[in-house]
Amino acid sequence: MSDSSSERTDDAVVVPMRVYKTVTVFSTLFAVVGVVGGFVLLDIATDRAQADLAEVQPLVALAGVALIVASAATYAFSTRFQAAGMRNAKDGEDEGSNHE
Amino acid sequence: MSLERKEEHDHRGWMKERDLSPIEQGYLMTLMWLDKRFRIVDYLELLETMYYRVNLQMPKSHTEQYNLDNKFWYWYPLYSLGAFSTIAYIVAAVTGALLGFYYAPSTAAAQEATVAYDQVVMIMMEMNFGFFLRSLHRWSAQIMTAAVFLHMLRVYFTGAYKEPREVNWLIGIVLISLTMAFGYTGYLLPWTQLSYWAGQIGVEMALSVPFIGEWVAQLVFGGFSLGAPTLQRMYVLHVFILPFVVTALIALHIGIVWMQGIAEPH
Repeated sequence: MSDSSSERTDDAVVVPMRVYKTVTVFSTLFAVVGVVGGFVLLDIATDRAQADLAEVQPLVALAGVALIVASAATYAFSTRFQAAGMRNAKDGEDEGSNHE
Repeated sequence: MSLERKEEHDHRGWMKERDLSPIEQGYLMTLMWLDKRFRIVDYLELLETMYYRVNLQMPKSHTEQYNLDNKFWYWYPLYSLGAFSTIAYIVAAVTGALLGFYYAPSTAAAQEATVAYDQVVMIMMEMNFGFFLRSLHRWSAQIMTAAVFLHMLRVYFTGAYKEPREVNWLIGIVLISLTMAFGYTGYLLPWTQLSYWAGQIGVEMALSVPFIGEWVAQLVFGGFSLGAPTLQRMYVLHVFILPFVVTALIALHIGIVWMQGIAEPH
């Protein structure tokens, strides 16, 4: 890390704590609802995986997969926003354990 | 605690200082827009505050109190048996309440055998998730009995029953007896062969008690031979009397543990 005051490392953005909470709460919410919703769509499209190949609704199935992927992407994207003092563990030097 | 929003930061100002990509900026603006309208974060912060306030009133765990190594034993499985019993009890209570919607404690003749038996068969064979529900009830009951017993062993062998926790030990003795009573009364309810002859054994055990045996058999089983009164009594004990008594005692038992703290291992 060349300059810690720039508030910006490779793919981490330092944001105020309140914004960090907003990002965490809402992105988690999106991700959870999105993934569950995506699977529900997949279920509908394939009649709970019971449908014959001809009866599968491709558009709905694709929409379900897309929703799952989008939710995962949203969640992954939001991990770049961090509050002050947070760092990715892999970037930081060892913290040193409290015991021993 | 109030839901008044505190303006801690300048929403626009700080953003200009960062070099955000358009996607990042758009993403943050969207979430902040949502945050202003659906104030989930505010409610979560309230919950967080409440959590810490409640925690302040809790006694220190004994690892904190005695500065013990807290990496390992905190999760020591034997110390979770009490909680495990409680969870099993809650599961049994919920599933039992649901089964109660369909079960009828009647020895009247029905298609297969008796109404009670037929209803149990109906629950398992015809009801959606009925087999699952009954299995859950059965398994949680068995697990509770086992966990309560192991919990008692743990308390005994770690000396946790010693001063000042004698009262809670005695309550525990009562609770393990009531747990077995719960199990026994529930065992009779399906009115199967196993149930019936378990009931017969119960009557004869009651009768074998000196002096008061006959009275006890009459009181608990409604007579010297099994019949409708027996099933009725088991049912009332199982769904009306025991639940209230046991729930109250468990609450007291846990409340005392809460007040006294967990005993340190000797």
